[in-house]
Amino acid sequence: MAVADATIRNVDRIIAARAKTRTIRALIYMVVLLLVVWSVKTTIVDDTDWERMGSVGNVLHGVVQFLGIDWGLVPNLWQPAVETIMVATLGTLLGVMMCVPAIWFGALNITPYPPITYPIARLMMTLSRSIHEIVWALFFVAAVGLGALAGVLAIAVRSIGFIAKMTAEAIEDLDPKPVEAIRAVGGSDFQVFVYAILPQILPVMIGVIIFEWEINIRRSSVLGLVGAGGLGLVFFRQLNTFNHPGVTTVILAILVLILFGEVVSYYVRKAII
Amino acid sequence: MPILSVRDLRVRYSSSGPEILKGISFDVEEDDFFAIIGPSGAGKSTLIRCINRLVTPTDGEIILYGTDVLSLNARHLRRLRRDIGMIFQEFNLVNRMSVMDNVLSGRLGYMGNFAGLFRLFSKKDISRALSVLDRVGLSDHVDKRADELSGGQRQRVGIARALMQDPKLLLLDEPTSSLDPKISREVMALIMEIAAEYGVPVLCNIHDVQLAMEFCNKIIGLQDGIKMFDGPTTKMNKKKLDEIYAMEVL
Repeated sequence: MAVADATIRNVDRIIAARAKTRTIRALIYMVVLLLVVWSVKTTIVDDTDWERMGSVGNVLHGVVQFLGIDWGLVPNLWQPAVETIMVATLGTLLGVMMCVPAIWFGALNITPYPPITYPIARLMMTLSRSIHEIVWALFFVAAVGLGALAGVLAIAVRSIGFIAKMTAEAIEDLDPKPVEAIRAVGGSDFQVFVYAILPQILPVMIGVIIFEWEINIRRSSVLGLVGAGGLGLVFFRQLNTFNHPGVTTVILAILVLILFGEVVSYYVRKAII
Repeated sequence: MPILSVRDLRVRYSSSGPEILKGISFDVEEDDFFAIIGPSGAGKSTLIRCINRLVTPTDGEIILYGTDVLSLNARHLRRLRRDIGMIFQEFNLVNRMSVMDNVLSGRLGYMGNFAGLFRLFSKKDISRALSVLDRVGLSDHVDKRADELSGGQRQRVGIARALMQDPKLLLLDEPTSSLDPKISREVMALIMEIAAEYGVPVLCNIHDVQLAMEFCNKIIGLQDGIKMFDGPTTKMNKKKLDEIYAMEVL
């Protein structure tokens, strides 16, 4: 009989536990649902200009006017497209140069004085990545005026975070034996870096830089929105003059440019690594 | 007059950690091929790395050619290191660089940062590297990448790199542990010949007692950071070896 009692108690315990789990789950669903309703209410219901949207026909009309391509605009896109690539390329190169201290300070095994230099590097990386490129561009437009230079600077600063983080991590993972050997022949810290560290991290670094360049083409194609040169500026102009097919044309041009970047990046990476 | 004398050397890797070397003293003479034997963890690698200060001892004294090694500043330490060739257990080559560049890197201690950065090695260095590579029997592999070579060949690159330094002392850290017995013997014979040719004393960590007895003229035996034996190879015998390796047997 004792056995049967124990079994019954066990069954009761399991049923109670399951009921508890169910209640908790139901509560979680409720909270999530409330959050969604609240978000929809504040962002969509309250914040949309329903009067101006009008009927479904009006909405469709708004979309349809973007269909079509403004062929007349195409010849004028070459120069800004090339400028966009130049901004991306120069920005990436400058970013690589600005990375060096962040990489040096940011790899725990080579950072000169960990309690101070390591946090400095981490701060540089986080700052670079957590501020959007448009915001960086606004900042540099204010600093150096309208034009591509502001775009180059924005791209460069925005690139530091990713390149430095990946490279610093590669340094943290490297094989320490060559480092010991170069130190033993009497090499300076700098020579240790050039002879024992750089050859080991170069493949990773080049891969990361090319990847970043590809992303930077994307970034630089919208920087014109805030006056930092390139295709974005043309895009903004078309939008302001209500030339909707022109807007579509620029978007397609940006798409072509990004595809170009991806193709180049694919082949270069394959050739090098 | 010994060229290297070590007195009461003590090493601790952290202030709370165990003492790895517990007061080691010995002398190396001009034409010694000196072996340090002992079981794993006895402190052989630590001892040899103290000589060129890849490891900083906590206490003791190291005098090399009249220089107090432990009192050197960074600049003089580099100058000292370039006079000490080191050959490593796992060769410690830069795999992605060519054999030539690996050998040339032995000259870095003589070069400024700028020349080092652009690999501006002098014609003299390059012809010297070629003759050294020829000496170790690698003249056919000059342009290969280091990771294309076999273990024995890589260790020859390591030897060539050490020779490029024009060393006044050779430190060998288990130079044969990554090699098979036949190649090990070849490499040891090569090192012994070269040491005699260049007139360089050798200090060699080795756990293969057979090789130590065969190639070295003096032996110190370490056990758990304590010196158990110090004398010419001829004085070493089975009983003393058993004592040194007693911990391993247990």
